[in-house]
Amino acid sequence: MAEDLQRNFRSAYYEKVGFRGVEEKKSLEILLKDNPLGILPPHTDSHPLVARYRQEQYEDVREALKAMRFVHAATPYTELYLRMHQLENQKLMRRSELTQPGEEDEDFLAIARAMEEIVDDPVDCYWLIRCFVNQFNHKFGDSIPHLPKSLEHFLSQEDSRLLAHLKTSGSLVLLPYSLWFRRCFAGSLPESSLQRVWDKVISGSCKILVFIALEILLSYKIMLMGTSRPEAVAKFLSNLPQENTDAIVTKAIDLWHKYCGTPMHSV
Amino acid sequence: MAKEQPNVFDLLPLLESTDLQDLEQVKSLLQENLSTDKGSLLVHGLVDYYLDTSSPQAVDILSSIREPHDKHLLDKMNECMAKQGCRLPTLTLLGHVVRKQPSWIHKIPRFPLLASLLKCLKTESDIVVLITGVLVLIIILPMIPQTSKQLLFEFFDIFGRLAAWNQRNPGHAQGVYAVHLHASVYSLFHRLYGMYPCNFVSYLRAHYSMKENVDTFEEVVKPMLEHVRIHPELVTGTKDYELDPIRWKRFETHDIVIECAKVSLDPKEASCEEGYSSLPDHVPRRPVDHSRSFSDLSSHGRSSFNSMATVRQSLSLSLPHLTVSQHACLSPQTPSLQGAEVTSSGMKEALWSPSSVCGMSTPPSSRGMSPTTVTDLSHSASHLSGRIPGTPVDGKWTPSASTPSGSSPLPSLSEELEHTVQTTSTTLPPAKANQEPIKELKKGTPTNINSKGVAADGLSPITLTELPDFVKTTERDREEDAITEELRTITQSKVDLLPKPALDSSFSSTTDSILPLNPSNDVLPCNLASTPERATNPAEGVDQHPPLSFWPCFTPIENSFSPCAADDPLVELSKGTCPYEPLFDLALPRLACLFVGKKMVEAQQKAGGHSEHREELEGEDLSTTSPLEVLDRLIQQGYDLHEKVLKRSPSLSSQSSESHSGGKHHSTKGKGVSPGAPDELALLRSQLLLLHNQLLYERHKREQHALRNRRLLRRVINATALEEQNNSMKAQLRLQEVETQALRVSLQEEQQRSKNLHQDHEALVQQLHSQVQQLQQERNEYHTKTQELQSDLQESQKRIGEMEAELQRANNKLCNTGHLLSQLSIKLNSSESMEQQMAFLNKQLLLLGEANKLCVEEIQRLGPEADKEHKMLQACSAREVERLRQSSIQQSQRLEAAQQRITDLEAQLTKKEHLILEQKKLLENVKSQAKGQLQASENRYLAQKHVTQALQSELLQLYSQIEINNLANSTPAGGTTEPSSPPKQSSNGNNTGPSTPAQTSEPSKREESSYMCVNGDLSLGSPPLTALINGSQEEDLSVLSCNSPLDVGSCPSAQSFLGIHNQELLNKRKSQYEEEPAPLISLSHGLQDPSLEPADKPQLGTSTEGTAAQALQEPPDLQPVDRPRARAYNIQRRRQQDLRIMDYNETH
Repeated sequence: MAEDLQRNFRSAYYEKVGFRGVEEKKSLEILLKDNPLGILPPHTDSHPLVARYRQEQYEDVREALKAMRFVHAATPYTELYLRMHQLENQKLMRRSELTQPGEEDEDFLAIARAMEEIVDDPVDCYWLIRCFVNQFNHKFGDSIPHLPKSLEHFLSQEDSRLLAHLKTSGSLVLLPYSLWFRRCFAGSLPESSLQRVWDKVISGSCKILVFIALEILLSYKIMLMGTSRPEAVAKFLSNLPQENTDAIVTKAIDLWHKYCGTPMHSV
Repeated sequence: MAKEQPNVFDLLPLLESTDLQDLEQVKSLLQENLSTDKGSLLVHGLVDYYLDTSSPQAVDILSSIREPHDKHLLDKMNECMAKQGCRLPTLTLLGHVVRKQPSWIHKIPRFPLLASLLKCLKTESDIVVLITGVLVLIIILPMIPQTSKQLLFEFFDIFGRLAAWNQRNPGHAQGVYAVHLHASVYSLFHRLYGMYPCNFVSYLRAHYSMKENVDTFEEVVKPMLEHVRIHPELVTGTKDYELDPIRWKRFETHDIVIECAKVSLDPKEASCEEGYSSLPDHVPRRPVDHSRSFSDLSSHGRSSFNSMATVRQSLSLSLPHLTVSQHACLSPQTPSLQGAEVTSSGMKEALWSPSSVCGMSTPPSSRGMSPTTVTDLSHSASHLSGRIPGTPVDGKWTPSASTPSGSSPLPSLSEELEHTVQTTSTTLPPAKANQEPIKELKKGTPTNINSKGVAADGLSPITLTELPDFVKTTERDREEDAITEELRTITQSKVDLLPKPALDSSFSSTTDSILPLNPSNDVLPCNLASTPERATNPAEGVDQHPPLSFWPCFTPIENSFSPCAADDPLVELSKGTCPYEPLFDLALPRLACLFVGKKMVEAQQKAGGHSEHREELEGEDLSTTSPLEVLDRLIQQGYDLHEKVLKRSPSLSSQSSESHSGGKHHSTKGKGVSPGAPDELALLRSQLLLLHNQLLYERHKREQHALRNRRLLRRVINATALEEQNNSMKAQLRLQEVETQALRVSLQEEQQRSKNLHQDHEALVQQLHSQVQQLQQERNEYHTKTQELQSDLQESQKRIGEMEAELQRANNKLCNTGHLLSQLSIKLNSSESMEQQMAFLNKQLLLLGEANKLCVEEIQRLGPEADKEHKMLQACSAREVERLRQSSIQQSQRLEAAQQRITDLEAQLTKKEHLILEQKKLLENVKSQAKGQLQASENRYLAQKHVTQALQSELLQLYSQIEINNLANSTPAGGTTEPSSPPKQSSNGNNTGPSTPAQTSEPSKREESSYMCVNGDLSLGSPPLTALINGSQEEDLSVLSCNSPLDVGSCPSAQSFLGIHNQELLNKRKSQYEEEPAPLISLSHGLQDPSLEPADKPQLGTSTEGTAAQALQEPPDLQPVDRPRARAYNIQRRRQQDLRIMDYNETH
């Protein structure tokens, strides 16, 4: 009780709103000072200018691609974004040598599709995709290969039987890791749930992906225990039912909190 | 039980045993059996036995049956009622049972027996059964007063049916039956009218308003109505109230009977109780009605008077103890008052006097008021509450009735009294008359004696004449049973009754009131007429009627009656009457003469033919004749006939076997019907039965009256007891008064004594007072003396005080002087020492003066110098101090200023720091802003760069394509394919692995890569760029290698030789590197014509084989000669430039 009295009386309200800590101002300031994706600078005065720059850049790149006939008016935005991304990263092939999009391109396209659903403005969308992908690859490129191991670890803690089953059935190897960890569940979860996951990812945690995956496994445990064919498991997990994802995400976030502490500390 | 049953039934015939002991045993056995056995068998058996034998013993047992058996009995009787043959005996049995009035009789309406009885009465045509049933019903009615409306209407229907019997079935009922029937209907009428007047009257109104019933009404009901007064209930009650159970709860059976009798005007039916006295039958009815109403009115006045009288009486009763002389004064007052009352109104006098007379004459003093008071109170009671049957004042005459039985002074009457007391109090009046003087003496009330002497002079002879008559009869009938005794008393009362009207019409009412059992007594003698000894009275009754000429209104009676008269001639009549004539003479001196005369006339008339007689009869007021009277007469007639027949023809053995019925038989036989017929016998039997029934009914009535009388007697006893108590209380009171008187006298004495004592005491006190005063005076004197003495004492004391004070003062003075003396001596001493000191001091002064003089001299000798220096020094130091002080002040001021300044500066500093901080923040802000912007712009730039790069690469590709196309067009296919194919290959190879850095050890590969560079395929790959950038020397090498592959590719065979040259050339190139830019620029200028290059290239390709040595040998001349090579180099150069720019960008 004494502790409760010492605590900020608004804490209950804060918790209701979603802030875990009472001294949210500090963390908010940190968050605001932070430039998570770097699209717009934290300084608001330069926002219009930067925004203009961004738009011009987008326009320029797009025009260039148009001029180079990589894209035309009817090209889908996702492809445009891909080409723009390639161009900006100097990965754009010559037009005559265009090949089928590779694994990386597919990941990009998936993320782009998801982002396109979230954001309306193409400029913002492009920038978000671009920055998200860049940041994701830049920040977590090294840790992504370790995520399956991590998943296995947490699964053993949460439900060893399921893990054992997956192992024995051989599904563990065939789980849709690239969908989960490279595309960050783009195309697997609906946008509303995805936003929450990506928020965490953007704020700097790739572990959340592991917990989402873990929670998905736990949620469909009965289904997974029921089937021993790894292909079926992979297929099912690749095409998850869309209805219960919010609950899964909430549970996953709880799990994440459980294993990695508060979001502030896990950053 | 099963074993006992037959035994019990065997016992039944034993009931007829003649042995009284056996009979008693059998009866007790049966009773015991009944009390133990709850079954119905024995009861049924008894009933059957009765029906068979009509045994009186069975009746006795059955009528005393207890509660659980009543149901069996009634059910059994109900069963028997259904059988035609058993109906009559059953009804008789029911009559017996009902008359016994068992405790369960109130339950009878719940049993079907009542319903079947009513049904029987409604449907039965046998007149004997009907009459029996009606009598039973009349008896039952007061026992079950709380009937339902339904039942009530059934009673009314029965009445209606029976009343109209003669009209409806003429000839069905023979004369005697008709008389009986009419009598019973008459009784029923009285009962119904008495009990339910409103309902009954409304029924009569409804029933006889119908036309077909009018004649019945006229003939039957109307005469009956004339025998009743207006029932008070008709005024105050309602139909529903009559049926109210609460109303009936207050009444016992006998109360109801009396109530019914009260409303009757018929002396045979009516009750004489409580002022409802009816006049004797020979007095016309209507006038009596009037007089009665008057008496009712006057009763109020009388009551007030009587109450006064009683008060006076009580006074006179109480007074004699004290003053004996007083009653003489009072005695004349009461008669005078009574006389005043009597004379107040003529009508009243006539009505009132009998009661007063009665009070004076027959009963003792206390009874003097009784008749009037009784009526008064009963009247007032009826006025107030309508229906209080209890007559508390009744007690007033019962003490007189009861007391004589214990203390009758006449031994001659004691015998008679022993009998009469048992039966009724009505037999007592004569005895009372005898007692009254003694009683009066006992009570000591001279008023009554006086009044009697004044008012009842004419009455005493009558009572005296009565007595011997009475005594005679009693002596004669001593051996008779209780009934006969009763009968005798009644005849006695009749004797009373008869002469009174002759003497004084008003006196009749008093006799009525004294003899309340008149109606029943009238009937009883008729029933008991079988005893020959009784002949006197009935004869008298019968004889009484004809001269008064009341004749029944019924024709059948006439028919049956007249033959009797007609049949037997005058002789019989005269014979029958003759033996009793002396009696008549004794009893009715005047009437007897009249009667005999009339008889004679009648006999003559009858001899002549009875048509005359009938005419004569018709002249009479037929309607006034009571049916009961008719019945009486009928019976009388029958008896007379029988008597005559017995006397005239004792030889007739057939009829003499049964004397009673034989008489009847004779009479009926005398009618002219064929003699000896069995019908006749049956008829006579039934008549006998009817008579018996009638007798039983009347007996029952009598019993009811007896019951009531007993109750009244009890109340009277209670009242007397209370009166006795009252008297004793009064005596006590008187004694106490005497005592009080004595006490009062003693009190006075005591008072006197106390007064004397008081006076003595006062005198003593006076004396003492004077003494006290004397003493007081003395004391005062002494007091003054002592005061004087005291004042003297005070004076002397004062003087002593003064003297003492003087002494004190003298002492003080002495003391003072002593003290002064000592002081003076001390002063003297001190002054002496002072003088010595003075001298010493003077000396000193002198010495000091000298010393001073010396000092002054010294000072004058020293001078002012030393003093000046000192002063200067002092001033100097003072000034110095002043200066220093000022300077210190200044310093402090300065210090303050400095401190102020310091603080100011510090404040400024902090401000500045703040400013700086702000600035820093701002700077940071701006920096971040700029950084952001810069980053954005950089990003943008990068993007731009990438765009241009991409564009360039595209452009280059396009160029290459165009060049290839041009080459293919200008050169022959064989020539062009060779040089054109390697680039393609290289481009392809470049795509797969472009980043392999060129190695000097493998020139061929480097040549390839350099060639690749020339083709401009390196746009995408950054590693080749870096490779190019890193090695500027290598550029030269690559430039050289551009040439070398041409050579190598064209003539691979001469590689070893050429390789050495190439090495040399490469070394040369290193040295020549600085010089090259200029020609390169010129080359680049040359390259600006794009069309030349493709044209040169093939040339170069073709010419290299021939001119390779030349070119190596003459490098400066190379430009003009080997243009294609120079051009290629130029391209390489430009590319390098581009890369360098790029490199610059990248490094930045």
